[in-house]
Amino acid sequence: MPKRRKILFKLIIFIIFILSIAGCWNRRELDTLAIVFGVGIDKAKKPGNIEITAQVIKPGEMKSPQGGSGGGGEKPYWNLTSSGKTIFSAVREFTHKSNRKLYFPHNEIIIFSEDIAKEGIRKYMDFFIRDPEIRRLVWVLVAKGNASEVLETKAILEKVPARNIAQLIEARAATSQASAVRLQEFLTRLMSKTTAPIASVIEITREKKEKIARLIGTAVFKDDKLVGYLNKSETRGLLWVIGEVKSGIIVVKSPGGNGEVSLEIICASSKIIPEIKDNNIHIRVEITEEGNLGEQTSAEDLTSLPAWTVLERRQSEAIHNEVRRALKKAQELNTDIFAFGEAVHRKYPELWKDIENRWDEYFPNIEVTINVNAKLRRSGMTTKPPKPE
Amino acid sequence: MKLEGGKISSSHLTFLMIGFMIGSSLIFIPGQTAGHDAWLAILAGLAEGLVFAVIYTTLAMRFAGKTLVQFNDIVYGPYLGKAISIAYLWYFFHLASLVLRSFGDFFTAIIFPETPMIVFIVLTALICATAVRNGLEVITRCGLILVVTMSLAVLTTTILLFKDMKLTNFLPVFDIPLKDFIKASHSAATFPFGETVAFLMVICFLENVKFAKSSAIKALIITGLLLVMASVRSIGVLGVTAPIHTYPSFQAVRLINIGNILTRLEIIVVGNLLAMGFLKISVLYYGTVLGTAQLLKLRSYLPLVLPIGAMLVSFSILQFDSVIENIFFTFEIYPYYVIPFQIGLPLLSLIIAIVRGLPKD
Repeated sequence: MPKRRKILFKLIIFIIFILSIAGCWNRRELDTLAIVFGVGIDKAKKPGNIEITAQVIKPGEMKSPQGGSGGGGEKPYWNLTSSGKTIFSAVREFTHKSNRKLYFPHNEIIIFSEDIAKEGIRKYMDFFIRDPEIRRLVWVLVAKGNASEVLETKAILEKVPARNIAQLIEARAATSQASAVRLQEFLTRLMSKTTAPIASVIEITREKKEKIARLIGTAVFKDDKLVGYLNKSETRGLLWVIGEVKSGIIVVKSPGGNGEVSLEIICASSKIIPEIKDNNIHIRVEITEEGNLGEQTSAEDLTSLPAWTVLERRQSEAIHNEVRRALKKAQELNTDIFAFGEAVHRKYPELWKDIENRWDEYFPNIEVTINVNAKLRRSGMTTKPPKPE
Repeated sequence: MKLEGGKISSSHLTFLMIGFMIGSSLIFIPGQTAGHDAWLAILAGLAEGLVFAVIYTTLAMRFAGKTLVQFNDIVYGPYLGKAISIAYLWYFFHLASLVLRSFGDFFTAIIFPETPMIVFIVLTALICATAVRNGLEVITRCGLILVVTMSLAVLTTTILLFKDMKLTNFLPVFDIPLKDFIKASHSAATFPFGETVAFLMVICFLENVKFAKSSAIKALIITGLLLVMASVRSIGVLGVTAPIHTYPSFQAVRLINIGNILTRLEIIVVGNLLAMGFLKISVLYYGTVLGTAQLLKLRSYLPLVLPIGAMLVSFSILQFDSVIENIFFTFEIYPYYVIPFQIGLPLLSLIIAIVRGLPKD
């Protein structure tokens, strides 16, 4: 008898554990979730309030259209908007419109509208880093115009605009002329005393009456307020310095003078070295790059050693110019997007204590030397251009 | 009268001590207040902790085969000795409830926001109660398996984060005032290294007590290295943002992204916390139960397991109203609260024992 009781007791314990360890309290089934792919933040009409647009996917419409049935032309996503004083209150407002609770772990982008970014976005950042559902790998963007409009652009190859934009950000590595900033990187810059935050810029262009999202350039923040934009080449200048250039095309004049040559960037790296010269802070930026000859429109033979050397020099000059332009813009805006301040902090911690709070006075006048070591390695499938000898 | 029949080997002791010290410290990385110099603070704390460990093991080897509760009677006499033993039992009990509470806070904050905390605490306490009922040998064998798995997990997550780490986050080295550094390193010494004082209830069951010192020192050094690795991982990845996070390790591992395929690996951290926390609570729980039984001269400690477990559960829930109170206690009060338990009394016991030539055979 006691043995049977013991078995019974163990059985009860097992059942309790099996039922409770699976964690059924917070059970959320897939068909009760509204999966968010993108979030946009705009100013609401009511002063002081914000308007959030959440792009929720409709799984039923996601599957590829079957031949014949047509599918009714329903969009596979739904853009919900709601407004409130804070982000969280606005997010919860969604439940008045959506029967499913919004689910953020698959969110890929956060877009701030230009007006909101100009007023400062620190106050809106807190929700995105405090809430456990939101991941730090989401991309941060600034929209020229309204964020809600960007989420309504036409995605041709993708079904959902937010997905399209997230992939644009990954694709920009091919030109390195747009920034790509994850929430964690943005936060790191936001928390730095001197380094200025940056974000990708997304704008809307109209092509044949379709609204298409276009990712280009960089948004530059001073503290947490948007103060300006970098254009394509300034952006690449910035990326050269912070070592984020992945690939891209540099177009230079052909050594002979007629036509252009496209050089493809294969790899690049950089070093920021602060120095003290005559009691002045001086920054030396060392950039190493390797490229390939990708295209020539001129008729001359570029694979001769003299022409090759000229090309290498022109490549260096082009990089040098891009960096100069970015530097000029940053110094005009007085925003340390290159993290020069942090570099000085690391090398001269004692000196830094004195200048930390006055970095804004130093940065616009700081002297920067740019050393570019650009190599040209290969010439592709051909050596000479296709023309009769 | 023998309350515990089991014997443990010296390598088992090493593993159990590693698991015990890692406990909850993989998510609350010690020395956090030192900012990006936390890894240095851990190393300094390790040096301080090694001194503690030498004191504890010297005591344990001097009074071979006797637990803390038993030799307190010899050192301080039957009355004062019992009072000191009660204080120690309180400390083990309180520490176990703190770890249980950290468990509850973590799970409710991060993974199951709507589930009441008591669910996690009761379930964990039940599992630990089972382990304690089964005795020391069972706990140590669990330790062996769990510690090996945990070390591999820490190593893997660190390797996967290599590409996201910025070595510049560690520069300039030693960038904080000495006073703050000492505060941080002392707090790392008291949590987790000094908490090994609880092993004064365990070391006496060692097969060969000669090896106590070497296995304790080995355990401390391995733990120190694992914690340095975890802290390098968090600082390297999170940089200046590390201090604002409630659980920096968890956040760091969340950032693992290998080609958009290997992502969302943070559950590994949760698994580690579960396994190591289980070991820590079990050892403390076991110490409390065994000590109480010895204090009350019981023939078996089994009847005490569930009542003390119930007290643990209720105390861990009642002691703090919010996670903020828990953090305040852990960082501001705990480093001073434990000084008598971790260093004052053991050192005093050792001095008295040497001066009076205890134990007299």
